[in-house]
Order: sequence, then C-alpha cells, then structure tokens
Amino acid sequence: MAEPTPTWKRDFPYQAAGEDEVTRREFARYLVLGAGAIAVGNVGLAAWTQLRTINTGSPRAIVALDAVPIGSTYLFDYPTGADPAILLRLHEREVVAFSQKCTHLGCVVYYQSDEDRWHCPCHEGNFDTVSGDVISGPPTRPLGRIEVEIRDDRMIWALGRPE
Amino acid sequence: MSERGRRTSSAVLIYVIVLVAFQIFLITVAAEAFLADDGGLAWSTAAVSVMMAVAAAAFLRYLRP
Repeated sequence: MAEPTPTWKRDFPYQAAGEDEVTRREFARYLVLGAGAIAVGNVGLAAWTQLRTINTGSPRAIVALDAVPIGSTYLFDYPTGADPAILLRLHEREVVAFSQKCTHLGCVVYYQSDEDRWHCPCHEGNFDTVSGDVISGPPTRPLGRIEVEIRDDRMIWALGRPE
Repeated sequence: MSERGRRTSSAVLIYVIVLVAFQIFLITVAAEAFLADDGGLAWSTAAVSVMMAVAAAAFLRYLRP
C-alpha cells in the first residue's frame, strides 16, 4: 500500500532528482515481474500449441476426384481454415494428403514432381511422397498425415488426422 | 549497507538478470515449438520457464528494502 504524503511535502512540493531513482530492490522487482510475464507467455504458447494439435478434424468433402489429374496436387484447409493442407493424386484411385506445414519450423511444403517428394524450401527439408517420412534436411518428424478416401460419388473426403 | 550486504545484493541482482536473460531465450524456444506443433517441447519449456520465474522471485528475499 502506498504511504500517505507527509504534510511538509504537501506544503512544500519540492522534488529532488534522487526521488526518481529506482532502488536496486525495485529494479530487481521489475525484472522478476518481467520473468513472471514471460513464464505466463510460455504457458500460454504451450496451451495454444496443445489445443491446435488436439483438433483432429471431422469428415468432410474436399474436392471431386476428376478435378485433380493424376500426379497433380490440390490445396485445401483442414481441419480449420488456418491449417493449410495439400492433397496428391498418385494413381487412378489413390490419393494422399498431408498438412502443408513443415514439421521443422512451419514453412509451407510443396510437391516436387521431378524428384517425387514433398519439399520445404525454407531449410531444404524433404519428405517421402506416400508416407510423409523425413528423407533429408533438418525436420525430425514426418509430415502430419490427413486420412482421405474416395467415396462412391467420386468425391475425395478428408476423414481426420491420426493422433 | 555493509560491504557484505552490498556484495550479496549485487550477486542476487546478477542472478536475477541471468535468469531473465535465460527466460528470453526460452520464449524463443517456445515460439519454435509452437511453429512446429511440438506440444511436448512447448510444455517442457513452459515448465522450466515457470521454475525460473519462481527462482527469480525467491531471490528477491535476499535483497533488503
């Protein structure tokens, strides 16, 4: 609690330069408050990261099979509008889909048809086309797979992300 | 303040500054974990960060008003 202003100070409102100085203890207190704020921020980031990975998505139609030629890709968002994903049609009735975020630092991966692999241009990370496993580069974890299937009406459906 | 007290408070202050500097490093690690969707790394970073904040607060006891 702040101390009441003494009468003499009210009557003679002089201020010495030394009154504005921060004591060693006050300085340390500000530092500790900063450390606490950073710790709260860290916990917040961890919770946000967890919440994002918990959402595995629900089944929904992505695109008509005939709209994606064999060997080409289709970009979509899954499970939310903030999660870019990419789908590749391998053969007549075979498609794979992955999160487009590189598992290294979240850059966007794309399909390199001449090398037949997923490629991250930021740090030269490469992933296997079918499994999403790391082939080379700094990533240590595979791309986030999205389960997809082709239904009878020739629509490609995303079923969810495996946990 | 005695010479010993002054040295103690300087040492405590340096400890707190080092802890805060490490905290700033930890927030960059947490940001990387966030970008890479690595929940395990994010939570362990948060745990270390909280421990450091508590340690910094505990050091305040040794600073005389």
